[in-house]
Amino acid sequence: MKSVTKKWLFLKISSLILIPLMLWFILNFVSIYDNDYQSVISFLNSKTSKFLVSIFLIFSYFFSALSISEVFEDYIRDENIKNAANKALNLFAIVFPLFTIIILFNLN
Amino acid sequence: MENNPLSPHIQIYKWHISSLVSITTRITGIINIIVISLLCLWIFSLLLGEETYKSVNYFLNSFFGKFFVVGVIWSFSFQMLSEIRHIIMDLGYGFDLKTTKITGSIVIIGSFILTILIYLIGRNLI
Repeated sequence: MKSVTKKWLFLKISSLILIPLMLWFILNFVSIYDNDYQSVISFLNSKTSKFLVSIFLIFSYFFSALSISEVFEDYIRDENIKNAANKALNLFAIVFPLFTIIILFNLN
Repeated sequence: MENNPLSPHIQIYKWHISSLVSITTRITGIINIIVISLLCLWIFSLLLGEETYKSVNYFLNSFFGKFFVVGVIWSFSFQMLSEIRHIIMDLGYGFDLKTTKITGSIVIIGSFILTILIYLIGRNLI
């Protein structure tokens, strides 16, 4: 399979998984965003929330990295700048969610 | 040749509903990842303790905070509906001009309706 086909397939699979996760996340965020510290902590401390927020973050960053790289492909002419932008994007898409998931599992 | 715009030629093509939906999907996609990163920082503020969380909570409870939350709901709603439209088109349906206009309009109008619905359901108002 060609790499562009793989990329397209990963984009479609991740977007399919993301749709229900986005709906779950935004509904819960709307219901807790103005709650006090303890309420938010107790929401995020449940096993279901930890699992779903983690999956949501992984797929969100994965999907975004793939789709933003398409934007780079369309609008950045210089190959060196494009490669550097893609590397920075991929690094950010791995480190940031990983860091957040570690925090999430260390909340008490 | 060197100064020609790269694809897609948004400066040249006449705007249609499909192009509006396409470019808005890209914009909301970028907005969403910025928002999700801010939400990660919101989770990080919880780890720093109650006092740090209170300052974030103060912003979210302000007028601008509520505007931000509604904006986030709309951006997520638009992205979800647009992705559903994309998946339907990937399956080979809805390519004729009339259908693309209808589905594009559904995405635009539906995103506002879905925003209201998510807000009302999330706040336990319905």
